[in-house]
Amino acid sequence: MMNEVNLLTVTAAVFAIMMSGSGQSRTNLLLYAMQTFFIALACLAQAEAKGSPELYTVVIGIIVIKVLTVPYFLSWLANKIEARSDPGAFLPIPLTMHVSILLFALSHFLALGLPLFKGIGSVASDATGAISLLLTGMLFMLTRRFALGQIIGFLTLENGIFLFAVTQTKGMPFIIEMGILLDVLVAVMIGGLFVFRIQKSFEHIDVTQLNGLKE
Amino acid sequence: MILTSANLVFIVTLTIMPFLLIGVIKKIKACFQNRVGPPVFQSLYNLVKLFNKDEILSKDCSWIFRSGPLISFSGMLLLCLSVPWLPLQPPVPGCDIFLFVYVLALIRFFSIISSIDAGSPFSSFAASREATLSFLAEPAFVLALVALGISAHSSDLALIFGQPIENNRIPLSVWFFSGLALFLSGIVELSRMPIDDPSTHLELTMVHEAMVIENSGPNLALVEWSYALKLLLFFGLIAQCFVYSLSKIIALPPLLLPLSVLVVMLALGCLTAMIESFSVKLSWGKNPDFIAYAVSMSLLSSLAAFAMNGGS
Amino acid sequence: MNDLVLILSIPIAATLLAIFCPKIAVLSRTVSLALWFYFAILVYLFAPLFASKQAIYLFAGLSADRIAAAFILLTVIISASAITQAGIFFEHELLSENPAENLHVRQFYILAMLFLLSMITVFFCQNLGFLWMSIEATTLLSAGLVYFHRSQNSLEATWKYFIICSVGIALALLGVVLIYASSQYACSEGTLAIPELIRLAGLLNIPLFKLGFIFAFLGFATKSGVFPLHSWLPDAYSEAPAPASAMFSGALLNCALYAIMRLCDICRASGHFAAAFSILLWAGSITVIAAAIFLVHQHGIKRLWAYSSIENAGLMLVAIATGSWSLFLLQAANHSLAKTSLFLLSGNIIQATGTKQLKDIRGVLTFCPVWGVLLALSAFAVTGVPPFGVFISEWLILNELMVMGQFLPVAILLAGLALAFIAVSVHLGQILFGVPKKNFRIFRPTLSSLVPGLLLLGSLVLGFTVTPSLLAVFTP
Repeated sequence: MMNEVNLLTVTAAVFAIMMSGSGQSRTNLLLYAMQTFFIALACLAQAEAKGSPELYTVVIGIIVIKVLTVPYFLSWLANKIEARSDPGAFLPIPLTMHVSILLFALSHFLALGLPLFKGIGSVASDATGAISLLLTGMLFMLTRRFALGQIIGFLTLENGIFLFAVTQTKGMPFIIEMGILLDVLVAVMIGGLFVFRIQKSFEHIDVTQLNGLKE
Repeated sequence: MILTSANLVFIVTLTIMPFLLIGVIKKIKACFQNRVGPPVFQSLYNLVKLFNKDEILSKDCSWIFRSGPLISFSGMLLLCLSVPWLPLQPPVPGCDIFLFVYVLALIRFFSIISSIDAGSPFSSFAASREATLSFLAEPAFVLALVALGISAHSSDLALIFGQPIENNRIPLSVWFFSGLALFLSGIVELSRMPIDDPSTHLELTMVHEAMVIENSGPNLALVEWSYALKLLLFFGLIAQCFVYSLSKIIALPPLLLPLSVLVVMLALGCLTAMIESFSVKLSWGKNPDFIAYAVSMSLLSSLAAFAMNGGS
Repeated sequence: MNDLVLILSIPIAATLLAIFCPKIAVLSRTVSLALWFYFAILVYLFAPLFASKQAIYLFAGLSADRIAAAFILLTVIISASAITQAGIFFEHELLSENPAENLHVRQFYILAMLFLLSMITVFFCQNLGFLWMSIEATTLLSAGLVYFHRSQNSLEATWKYFIICSVGIALALLGVVLIYASSQYACSEGTLAIPELIRLAGLLNIPLFKLGFIFAFLGFATKSGVFPLHSWLPDAYSEAPAPASAMFSGALLNCALYAIMRLCDICRASGHFAAAFSILLWAGSITVIAAAIFLVHQHGIKRLWAYSSIENAGLMLVAIATGSWSLFLLQAANHSLAKTSLFLLSGNIIQATGTKQLKDIRGVLTFCPVWGVLLALSAFAVTGVPPFGVFISEWLILNELMVMGQFLPVAILLAGLALAFIAVSVHLGQILFGVPKKNFRIFRPTLSSLVPGLLLLGSLVLGFTVTPSLLAVFTP
């Protein structure tokens, strides 16, 4: 019942859940890097199972861009603007973690409802991890005050989609997977730039206080 | 109670291991602080010394204060004899999950009211904190055990822990997450860092050590001994969780099982010492955030238990 | 391959020029001339397309058919007009009391050119993966345009735009992945190429495809500001400088809707268009009525036109739902021309009065009659007053729905259109008449009304010349 990929995807999802329980920017980024690392491992396992050389390149791309560059850049940014601890919005942060566990259970049932492609030996619980990452990312975005937290939540959401693509299909075309990676990198850079600007002009990065344009 | 070889191993370990664990933790902490540290069995010598001392009692305290440590020691001894903290059948069979939890709660109740009975504001304050912490951590602890019980289809601890590897049908993820949940809630229950600093009773920490500040002589000896037994009990269960989850990945020979549990218990001691050396105590307001992680792990473990149960 | 070079050449040359050209005045004139030249090149390139049915092939996964060519020409017209007007706009901006920095103007030109290139790429994409990437690129490149004024408000609008659209586009990616997964049932490797998907449409796994369609629709609908995913749109349109708002409303809106149209292509081929039809129809109708209700209480002049864009996005969704792509193209072209003129004129007025607040803008007609008359005519054109083009396309859409027997949506749409017309007219009356609260600082009134006037003329021409036979050119 438990295969290799399954264990890795579920581990990635558990790291995302643990990430949603911390308000510290550095802890969040560390756990994000761990989570992405396990996604890279899941991708590697798929690459071995399918014997496709292109997937190996994707694995290297994930590790270089998403495991190393992006968390490093964001933690540099967090240091620079002194955004250490997120007070959390709407829900207390520990409770967010418990809600994301419920979402994990929910995604188990959602995954069971998906029509499965039998040709590549994928099982429903692979999709569980992916959907759980997606939902946790969304919850993370909703329950953080810091603009930085929203970027991390977005990255988690994107990780979920990527994992879904890797486990539930035979592998998207190579150029598109690399394009997605590049898009993420550029989006993080631009997002980081704007976070920096927000800190400079508002002297905080609390997005719930950005309401000058409310009608 | 029949004296089989298994029982003999159990009882011999029970007499040595608690002091060894405490000694190892203290020794490693000393190493990290560039000190030589006390001898490994120093806590045993302390115990002998304390039993030979006179007891000083406050004039306001009643029989509750005097019987508190005795109740907690006897309760702890009972648990140590009936709970399979080594992967062997315990000498006294038939300990249920809920019996375990309730005896622990009973012990805590008596230690709390006996420290209030002493009448010192210092220890009463610590008692109220102890009550709050255990109130927060207990759900995680119980849920982790219940998750194991669900997977094992039994609430008898001897059918969950202490089974030979080939009989063990609990899935890896349940073992692992329960182990994590027990470890995290164990840190709270055993009042270790980062929740409580076991080496001081200063106002900053003021939980376990401050609670027993009025005890002295044989009374204090019993308190320290029951603490050592509690450490043994928790570490034994946590170590088994990790050893069993390891045995799902690599094959362990059956004979090696008790030995590897002992090794993992010592390793847990090292881990605790390292956490205590390298982390700072959380401020009181941050404790719920830490305990939330324990609750999450136990929730995950019960989720896994439900999901796997439905599958198999 | 030659065509590819030709298409890439002008925007890239203009970008390089914006980086290296020392003087802003020279830069703005050269770039606007280059864009009109670019338009001429594209007309020359696409001319054979309208003569024969042969699609123009650029590169693997990049080619253009008639409808794509028409959208590209529309995008280039709108961008060229906006950039031409931008020359005058920035000249005034640089002369004002707290002038914009030269560097920021230069950055605006660089980003605008790259943004234009990414929008053109959207229409060439014959592969869902490429389509997704180029739409994401439009978001990333245009976020900088919103931030032109460097104020707190513009930063807030930019952040909202960036985050909401990124999440929306991420959902669209999930949709694309699901569609790819559904295509694995049809051919062993799976495919994202749109022509392949259309060919294999009957063999796709329908539940997965439907799920994918819904997610992709949600994503692209966020990008086109469909209610209730529109919250970023008024802020971004209102805070961006007028030429950028014009490009957003006139060109970017079409890109996202074009992506939805491409999805519907596959949907129609699979024989399950009915589900998509009701999603599009109801999303469109609800957007129209909701935007009309929002139009009643507005405090900013550009927010007013932004909500009108949302209303028109709803109408375009309904046009896609009718299954007639030429109707969608017609509505898009009419709306783009009139709305661009409206945004450019509003930019002039905001610069002259120094405020965006509707309550502070009064008496435009007395101070600058040319702007006043053109503003009134453009606003009427957008709300669908005959003889302008929007009236024709709205009438055709409603007619089509009546033929299909969808009476409730028609009633909702009519109510929405009427309410929008009334709301816009009331606001317009307050702007045009009355006594101004502040001094007008009119800058080159004739020159700055040239481009809006020509666009309005285009809308008028479309209103008079469109016949069903002309539309038939675009039915595949």
